[in-house]
Formats: sequence, structure tokens, C-alpha cells
Amino acid sequence: MRNLIRFLKRYYYIFLFILLEGLAIYIISQNSYYQGSVITAFANETVGNVSNHTQNISHYFTLGSSNESLVRENAMLRSRIESSYVKYQHRAFQYNDTIYKQQYEYIDAKVIQKTINKRNNYFILNKGTLHGVKKNMGVISPDGIVGVIINVSQNFSLVMSVLHQDSRPNIKNARTKISGTLVWDGVDYSKGKLIDIPSSIPLKVGDTIITSGFSQDFPEGIKVGKITTFDKDKGTGFYVVDIKFSVDYNKLEYVYIVKNFFKEEQEKLTKDIKNE
Amino acid sequence: MNKDILLGFLHFILIAAFQVFVLNGMHFVGYINPLIYVWFILMLPTNTPKWAVLMLSFSMGFVVDMFSGYIGLHCAVLTFIGFIRPIFINVFFSGKEIESNLRPSIAEMGLSNFLPYLAILVFIHHFFYFTFEIFSFVEIFRTLLRIVLSSISTILIILLFDFIFFKQKK
Repeated sequence: MRNLIRFLKRYYYIFLFILLEGLAIYIISQNSYYQGSVITAFANETVGNVSNHTQNISHYFTLGSSNESLVRENAMLRSRIESSYVKYQHRAFQYNDTIYKQQYEYIDAKVIQKTINKRNNYFILNKGTLHGVKKNMGVISPDGIVGVIINVSQNFSLVMSVLHQDSRPNIKNARTKISGTLVWDGVDYSKGKLIDIPSSIPLKVGDTIITSGFSQDFPEGIKVGKITTFDKDKGTGFYVVDIKFSVDYNKLEYVYIVKNFFKEEQEKLTKDIKNE
Repeated sequence: MNKDILLGFLHFILIAAFQVFVLNGMHFVGYINPLIYVWFILMLPTNTPKWAVLMLSFSMGFVVDMFSGYIGLHCAVLTFIGFIRPIFINVFFSGKEIESNLRPSIAEMGLSNFLPYLAILVFIHHFFYFTFEIFSFVEIFRTLLRIVLSSISTILIILLFDFIFFKQKK
């Protein structure tokens, strides 16, 4: 018994290390991309409150450019106010005069904490479950695509930005309609890469890249960027394309969270197939 | 002793705040991401009990974690640094110096001793941090570049701060 106590006394330090390290690794495994945890929710709340205060200060430095972008966005909205509606004619004749049914709703939010210098970058927004935000909703800004919500607490939400190695939004070329996938190589926050674009169809430098609308997170036609260079990869038969993002993530301040009214219906449809 | 605890608490807050609000928002060439919160563990007085070093590493990591979205990573890596710190303390300090509770810094150790102590531990920290953050062999060269550049920037910032804030004596 005395030996045991001596043993513990001598090596308590190693046990404590194993305990703490194990706890840390447990926390990591708990808040992987798929499942949220109590800890992240708690962290979101406390951090969100602190960040709100610091953001209030740094807010003033970017006031000019965010005003400008909001004005631009207003002008854009005025010119195409029906764009968030899909045509809804499920009968051969119409017995009421609603031809449009709303598919997307946008919740405005402010970025209160962000990083752009890591390999995997996350943003925290000041809207949460109380405002109707849910997991897996898309996030866009007036200038283009931003990311996807991966965790929500009462008042705040966590966004996995497109500047992340697990982010793979589906995109397409606005001119040729050929779709592909957007990835980020972790170097420059203003440049992205496109993969899975077959090299049989010619591209042009300067082609606009937009979201494809195939995933239920983003509406079709949200800007992503412009092609700067491209190259054929002989081995695979796909292009390697570099694009410049249309959003300046460094200055990003106001964003919209996309709520898709048809998402559950669409998901249920694919789920039924999988079950069979 | 009380003064030490109070001072340590102040360092904790200042370093965490600087890391979270200034350095995490910084972007420079895309590869450089200084992580100076390691400094807090490195500069604890040599006589600090081992369990206290571990607990402080864990809490510092946790605080920085909360502000960076992906919880647990800083925590796990910094706890490891807290664990291996005593080995390096034994290498770089004589028994007498450890007893007299020195604070590892340029003023106490001289640059020629402090720099290797700092550089080795910072490099180990950055190595594990970026390896686990990226966790992919595809980008291995880019990850190495990231580790080296970030380590260098972290070391330079810590040396600068150390020089400014702990210059007294001699």
C-alpha cells in the first residue's frame, strides 16, 4: 500500500497529463463537423458576447466600405426583386392568382468574430436559434458565397467558411453551365480553386463562376468569383482552375443566412430512395 | 508569492487577449499565423509546481480555443508543451537556478540560452499544432512551410516583447 502511494506521488504528474490530454482530445472528437456539443454552444454564447464588444469598436474602421456594399446590394435587389421566388405551377390551370411561391428567405446577420489566416477558417455570426437559424443553412454576402452554418447556439452561430479544407460547395460556370466543385488550398484568402470540371469543354479567362443550386444550401446564381488561370490536367481529364473570389473575406461584415423552405421536402425525397 | 500569482494572472489575460484579438485577425502572406500564447507557459517561473503548469496550459489553451471555432486543438497541444517543459527547464537551468525561482527570459538567461529554449519549444508546439489542424499528407510541404514561417514569426514577436517588458536588472 505504501508503495502504491509512493508510486502515485512520484508519477501523479503523468496521470494528470494523461487526464487533461484525454479531456482535450475528447472535446475535439465531440465537436467534429457533424455533431454539435454543449461545450461549443457554451463557448459560442460567451465568446459571442465578448466579441460583440470588440466588434463594436473595430466596426467603425470599415464603416465606409460596408455602407458602399449595402448600397450596391440595395440597388441590385431593386432591379430583380423576384429572383428569390420560383415559378409554382403544379396544375394545368390556375384557380388562384399566386404563380410564385417563396423558396428562399434571408436572415441578415453580422460577423462578430472571424479568422482568415488559418488553414481552416470559421466565422461567428450574431444570430442564433432565437432568430430561426438552423444547422446546414448557407451563408452569403452581398458580393457572393460565404459558407455554411455548422453550429448554432441561442444567440450566435458558427460558420464554416469556404476558406476551409472540408468546404466543397457545388458551382457552375455562368456561361457554359458546366458544374464543378470549389475548394481552397489554404494559401491566399482571395483565391480559390475549382476541381471536377471536365476538360472537354473550353473555358475562358474571366468566366464568372456562380453557385449551381444543386445543393440545397445555396440558391442558384450566387456569385463565387472569376477565372484567372486554368490548365488541363493530362492525367485525369479535368481542368485545374484558379479563381479570384468575388468576396473580400478580410472586409466581410454583413451577411445573409439562407433559409430554404423546400429543403426538408427535397431531403425527404432523397432519403426515401436511400431507404429502399 | 502572492505577487507572482497576481502577475501571472495579468500575463494570462494580456497574452490571451493579444493572441485572440490582434494576432488571430492578422493575415500576412497566407502562411504566417503567430501563436504567442505559448509564451505564457514558457515564462512561468522555474519553481512553479508541475501540476500548476499543466492546469495553466490547459486553461490557456481552452481560452484561446473558445475564440477560434474549433475547440480542443490549442488545448491538447499546449497541455503537451506544459508536460514536456520540465525536461527543458532541467536542461537549460542548473539546480540552484531552479530553486531560486527564475523567470525564463533574456534578462535572466541571456539571449544565447533563452533563444534555444524558446525556439525548440515553440517549434515543437507549432509542429503539432499545424499537423493536427490540417491533418492531411497531401499538403505536407505546405504544412511544413507553414510550421517554419509561423514558428519564426512567433519567436521574433516573443523576443521583441520579452526585450521590451522584462528588460530590468543588469
